[in-house]
Amino acid sequence: MSSNIPAYPVSVLFSAAGPYAGLGREAVAGALAGIAEINASPTLSLRLRPVIADPRGEDRRYAELAEGAIRDGSRHVVGALTSSARKEIVPVVERHDALLWYAFPYEGYESSQHALYFGACPNQHLLPLFDYLLPRQGVRPFVVGSNYIWGWEIARIARELVEARGGALSADRYLPLGHIDCDHLIAEIRQKKPDFILSNLVGESLHAFIRAYHSLGLEDDAFRPENCPVVSCNMTDFDLSAVGAAAAGHITVSTYLHELDTADNRAFKARMTERLGEGHAISSCFAAAYSAVLVLGTAMAEAGSDDPAAVREIVTARRFATPLGDLRVDPRNHHADLTPHLARAGADGCFHVLEQSSGPVAADPYLAGLAARAALTPHPADLPIEASQARKLRVVK
Amino acid sequence: MTGFKRLEPAGWQAIILHRPHPSVDALIRQLAMLHVEARTVWPQLDEADARADVVFFDADDGHDGQFPWSAGLAPMPMIALVGSEAPGRIEWALSQGSTAHLLKPIGSTGVYSALLIAAHSHRIVRAKSDDIRHLEDRLRQRPAVVRAVLKLMGQGERDEAAAMKTLRTIAMTWRMTIEEAAETICADEQHAKREA
Repeated sequence: MSSNIPAYPVSVLFSAAGPYAGLGREAVAGALAGIAEINASPTLSLRLRPVIADPRGEDRRYAELAEGAIRDGSRHVVGALTSSARKEIVPVVERHDALLWYAFPYEGYESSQHALYFGACPNQHLLPLFDYLLPRQGVRPFVVGSNYIWGWEIARIARELVEARGGALSADRYLPLGHIDCDHLIAEIRQKKPDFILSNLVGESLHAFIRAYHSLGLEDDAFRPENCPVVSCNMTDFDLSAVGAAAAGHITVSTYLHELDTADNRAFKARMTERLGEGHAISSCFAAAYSAVLVLGTAMAEAGSDDPAAVREIVTARRFATPLGDLRVDPRNHHADLTPHLARAGADGCFHVLEQSSGPVAADPYLAGLAARAALTPHPADLPIEASQARKLRVVK
Repeated sequence: MTGFKRLEPAGWQAIILHRPHPSVDALIRQLAMLHVEARTVWPQLDEADARADVVFFDADDGHDGQFPWSAGLAPMPMIALVGSEAPGRIEWALSQGSTAHLLKPIGSTGVYSALLIAAHSHRIVRAKSDDIRHLEDRLRQRPAVVRAVLKLMGQGERDEAAAMKTLRTIAMTWRMTIEEAAETICADEQHAKREA
């Protein structure tokens, strides 16, 4: 390695222990894969030095560890999966003029000048999911979520979306992060017979719920996925690999799918096969963290420095080819335009495209744009088609 | 949940009463994300600005006479932009009827919640003012109720409680408040006296 190539420390802050450790490990692996590629690139004259710390799923540890990493020289933090963790880091990066690179679906209503958002906000996940689902499946979802801001706000938006179409939530129920006892939820779902289940559960809670709901489907056909699917904005290929065949038939919306047939994704998967070996499905967690790091390294090389202001200016000024697509980051709200892909879990443990995406969607983190306002305004003329006609979700792969 | 309906600011027009300043630029950036159109004005608002949906005003350099309405009677939510937390300045901002504030320097957060809180408080204040006006009217009519009760007792009701019950029944039948029914009964009496 040539000694005159600058090396910049980059804080990598994910939880590889705790209630969503599996997702955290995927994110760390994705970030490290991105860093390795940047460092191996013959065209980029810089090196990134990962500074890895593990908050073990404890929110307050994120702030302490981000503070420490920044004090030790990192000016960029790639980190946080959950919104409660992100809310701990944002004040720290704002105070120190650093930059947070956040890459996971979240509930919106945030736009820090010291963060770049590569994860989808509701107009890029829940709105397209419900646009597809409500006319086909009905307007009485049962909502289950992890007991923090992600679960609460997605349930709130879901309620407003179904009420705008003349429906109502069958119920909204919450489990603390990491809790896996779902029996009471399953009993209530059986009794209430909703049109579908919206899950905002995260990590082990999600896995336990999917398994328990699968058992219910074996007892009663009404709760099989073709009749009453579980849909989610945060169910990833990693979750499928954890749950196995019990997840088959359920639906996700994601900005990355392993099976996406694009030139960028084919090349990405080929490189990752070289790195990880055969047989690894790339999860959206992995791909999102990787993509954020790819943009970070490329922009840093172009800036010739790790100065957050200079890097931010480059990131918001042009497009970057990533596995998530040809990304543009809006200079006004710091969110990436992202493509929502609707997909259904197959028995093979992979998500398969349900409906071709209509392309990238500009982020509207405060749901203030015309499309979001239209979706949230009552439109009774657009009431759901008869549930009996809508029960069968068709794969148009 | 709370049961109150959230106001959504998308499509609103905002006036910012402040000298050019980076905090104003940050405020305009946040408002643009919320699809709120903003216009900056200094040193004072004029009549046309009274049509705005919300006013952000400088609490540091602001003074009486900048607004085309009396202090505290703004027809829209008022949000103070506070730099100096000196009590005199806060008192002045409150006297203008501000129901929310943003601390300067303004960064990339705070405007959405300030808008929702100010709009909600403004709506509550307006509703309470209407209630108070209504109750004051009823209080003003209280002597008529006393007169009507005495009149009904004179017409054979055995006591105050019975007379009050009859008055209430009359008000319900006539679909008016007790005070209005009492005034009507007393007006009849006045009318009868004048006729006599």
